[in-house]
Amino acid sequence: MVFRSACREALGAPALAMAATFLAFGAAVQAAGLGLGWGLAAGQLVYGMPGQMVLLAAVNAPGGPLPAVLGAVAANARFLPMAVALAPWLGPRGPARFLALPFIAVTAWAMAMRRLPDIPPADRITWYLGFALTSWTVAGLSTRLGYAIAPLLDGWILAALLFINPLYFGTILAGETRFAPARRAVLCGAVATPLVLLLPASWALLGAGLVGGTAAFLWGQRGKSGAERR
Amino acid sequence: MLSAADLALVLLILACAAMRAVGLLVAGRLRTDHPFVRWAASVALATLTAFVLAAVIAPGGILAEIPLVSRVAGLSASVAILFWRGGLALPVLGGLAVTLGLAAL
Repeated sequence: MVFRSACREALGAPALAMAATFLAFGAAVQAAGLGLGWGLAAGQLVYGMPGQMVLLAAVNAPGGPLPAVLGAVAANARFLPMAVALAPWLGPRGPARFLALPFIAVTAWAMAMRRLPDIPPADRITWYLGFALTSWTVAGLSTRLGYAIAPLLDGWILAALLFINPLYFGTILAGETRFAPARRAVLCGAVATPLVLLLPASWALLGAGLVGGTAAFLWGQRGKSGAERR
Repeated sequence: MLSAADLALVLLILACAAMRAVGLLVAGRLRTDHPFVRWAASVALATLTAFVLAAVIAPGGILAEIPLVSRVAGLSASVAILFWRGGLALPVLGGLAVTLGLAAL
């Protein structure tokens, strides 16, 4: 019941955002001259779009694979704080939490941080797996479809598909600002965004996030009142 | 024999799995209100905010083909629709419609 309801939830707006982004990724893999297997492995096993895009853009550049990998790892380094923040919400301690490991990605994470606090602890991992497996499946099917129809997608359609992603996460973040800690994080993240333009590209997002997120956390500690914690 | 592209992908897959595993292990014994967990959530949200705003204000690649005013108006429309009507799909699609409508003018 919990599993099915999470699957249904994932098939709404989250599936729209996932499908659009991974469709565009599949098309970009085809345009780069790489195989469908490479695209599917990247989409399903890396399962973190900024790192996937960094790797795709840099993989054939001179200098060997290592710089491309380091840039992509830095672009996806948010997995670490995301996993730290998510782990205590995944229900009772134990190995079952590790079932979520391959599916810790921003779409499922953002929705989980909103929904899990209202779900009984024993049902949380089931909810997460239902939501995340559905999103993951949509991502794989969309990568395959994007690869197949790449020649039909012109620049404008690809740009529109890719822009759904920031609109989707922007909407989620705006909704999160109802809660004081998230409001502080979003505000400080916005103030730190110019760092994205100043730091080396591969570290830019994480750098801005570390500065903004730490500032928001310290702000919350200063004016700490237990009542406003989620 | 793996090609350079295959090798890079394998290394990235392993690194991403390791980051997720370390996060789960490190936080495995912490409560949801532990300061480290709240700090990590704050960093993750701030990173996501920077990702969204950078994609709207100064995107690279193909997104730059959409004019700045259309991108900003699109995100503003999504947020406005969210606060007006709620939901998730409606704000996203409304924002996309505003973005593309303005870009087509």
